[in-house]
Amino acid sequence: MGKISKKAQIQVKNLVKKYEGLAAVDNISFEVYEGEIFGILGPNGAGKTTTLEIIETLRKPTSGQIEVDGLDILKNAWEVKSRIGVQLQAAGFYPDLTLVELLQMFAALYKVKIDPLKILKKFQLEDKKSSFFQKLSGGQKQRFSLATTLINNPKIVFLDEPTTGLDPQGRANLWLEIKNIHKEGKTVIITTHYMEEAEKLCDRLAIMDRGKIIKIGTPHQLIDELLKTGFRREREIKKATLEDVFLNLTGRQLREE
Amino acid sequence: MKTKSPNQIGPLLAIAYYGLRAQLRNRATLFFGFVFPLMFIFAFGFFGSNGQKITIGIAQNEKTEAIYQDISKIENINIQKGNLADLKKELASGKLSAVLANGDDQGEVKLLVSQASENQSQVVQSIVSGAIAQQNLALSGLKDLPINLEVEKVAGRAFRFIDFFLPGMIGFAILATAVNNTAFGLIFLKKTLVLKRIFATPTKALTILLGQGLARVIVALAQTLVIVAAGVLVFDFTLIHGLLTLLSIILLSLIGLLAFMGFGLFIAGVATDENSVVPLTNIIVFPQFLMAGTFFPIESLPEVLRPFVNILPLAFFNAAIRKITTEGVSLDQVFPQLLGIMLWSIIAYIAASRTFKWE
Repeated sequence: MGKISKKAQIQVKNLVKKYEGLAAVDNISFEVYEGEIFGILGPNGAGKTTTLEIIETLRKPTSGQIEVDGLDILKNAWEVKSRIGVQLQAAGFYPDLTLVELLQMFAALYKVKIDPLKILKKFQLEDKKSSFFQKLSGGQKQRFSLATTLINNPKIVFLDEPTTGLDPQGRANLWLEIKNIHKEGKTVIITTHYMEEAEKLCDRLAIMDRGKIIKIGTPHQLIDELLKTGFRREREIKKATLEDVFLNLTGRQLREE
Repeated sequence: MKTKSPNQIGPLLAIAYYGLRAQLRNRATLFFGFVFPLMFIFAFGFFGSNGQKITIGIAQNEKTEAIYQDISKIENINIQKGNLADLKKELASGKLSAVLANGDDQGEVKLLVSQASENQSQVVQSIVSGAIAQQNLALSGLKDLPINLEVEKVAGRAFRFIDFFLPGMIGFAILATAVNNTAFGLIFLKKTLVLKRIFATPTKALTILLGQGLARVIVALAQTLVIVAAGVLVFDFTLIHGLLTLLSIILLSLIGLLAFMGFGLFIAGVATDENSVVPLTNIIVFPQFLMAGTFFPIESLPEVLRPFVNILPLAFFNAAIRKITTEGVSLDQVFPQLLGIMLWSIIAYIAASRTFKWE
């Protein structure tokens, strides 16, 4: 971390999205810097997914300006789409196609040449190459989804609640994959409602609620700010969490149901 | 400046190819697309090819014997001999169309018919009374009859039920596939977020819809070919001008498909999930399936209904395909019907474009 250049790769200015008069996203502005992992945190219905999908050019904003990698997303949707990688909150794959077929389909859509087996191997899915997507476990589905997100070698990767519904092993494994993507120099934007995930993964966070961004900062800044107000946890923090206990007892090995 | 959208041929073919693969792995597609229409054809094809069999029971004695000799020569009439009590039972249960027995008086024969089958009774009555008249004539010794009936058979193609039914079955299969498959398919792809995920790649919305459409067109054309093949191989269905007729059938099917898919697209836009698709497709498919000339000619409907039924999309299609298969005309001679189909498709696509949503 630390060596993040302060060049804004995504700029969101005064973004509003209204559905039948109700503002799902209520005039938000933020920047995401090149090479960072940026987290959007918030409870369900806060507007995280809507914000993400507007930047991904999947939905049209009601008003506001958004630039991705220097491109206005409304005028350059095609170019933006080919420079980003998108993981939707839920599946998004033909249940009756095999993993190899799905990878080949996405390669054709992005017009890139790929070696499906190499990609599957990278995400520990090589023995599932002929399985139908619907036969995969939750963790396998998310890893596969991540694999398709990287097919076009995007500069920016959007992950919408990638670890929701995974067991602790699956989550720990996916964090590792996300960190690997980050190491390759890609910018990652992730939504989550797990605080621990945000703290472990993200360089900077935006906390969102009811369509508004309440706070932006690094996890440390946000925590320090809270402590300055005199806030203290009721119980003293121990050096380990229950999750550490669980993973220590059951191991970090991936389980597939 | 807007960046130009990239070449969409590759993505279009990829969407069509993988959409087709996914569809062919789906058992519901295979069943409703292929097995279902074939089941119909076999059920009604065999039923239709025999026509209505008439079986007359004859209680044997001297008086009925002479009539038996006459009517046993008539084609398509079966005779069953036996004793009167047994035959009466079979008549009551509908296995026999009529029973011929001794009359009460001298020189009288009695024909027992069933109340339940008016049509068959009349046919049997005229056959038997004809036979009796001949007997009477022969007995009276009359020569040089004042009126003679001469029947001359004119050469012609035997029009069988399959010739009527098979084109109707193609029409139904095209309509059902275009509407159901498109509506259910798109709702399913929306729900599983497949459409959205593809939309996140540099692929135009129109390309996605066209690719999905192309996949369905291929399935539906295969369906038409299977139906025609079953007709030709099993039921001796005749393609009047051979390959030319087949080509016309395929072209017409393609036109029908593209038109009817508008209704599927419209439903996929209006419906929120699979459950709300069912009543909507039923409203569009079933009335047409029952009335618009799939099982029986529209002319046999009550006169007040006919004008309305005649302008249904499937009625136009069925009229056109029957002209092609039974009269052997080419596509340009069914222009009025094509115009009708086109008008419906314009209505459907306008409605669809107003309702279809990606989200």
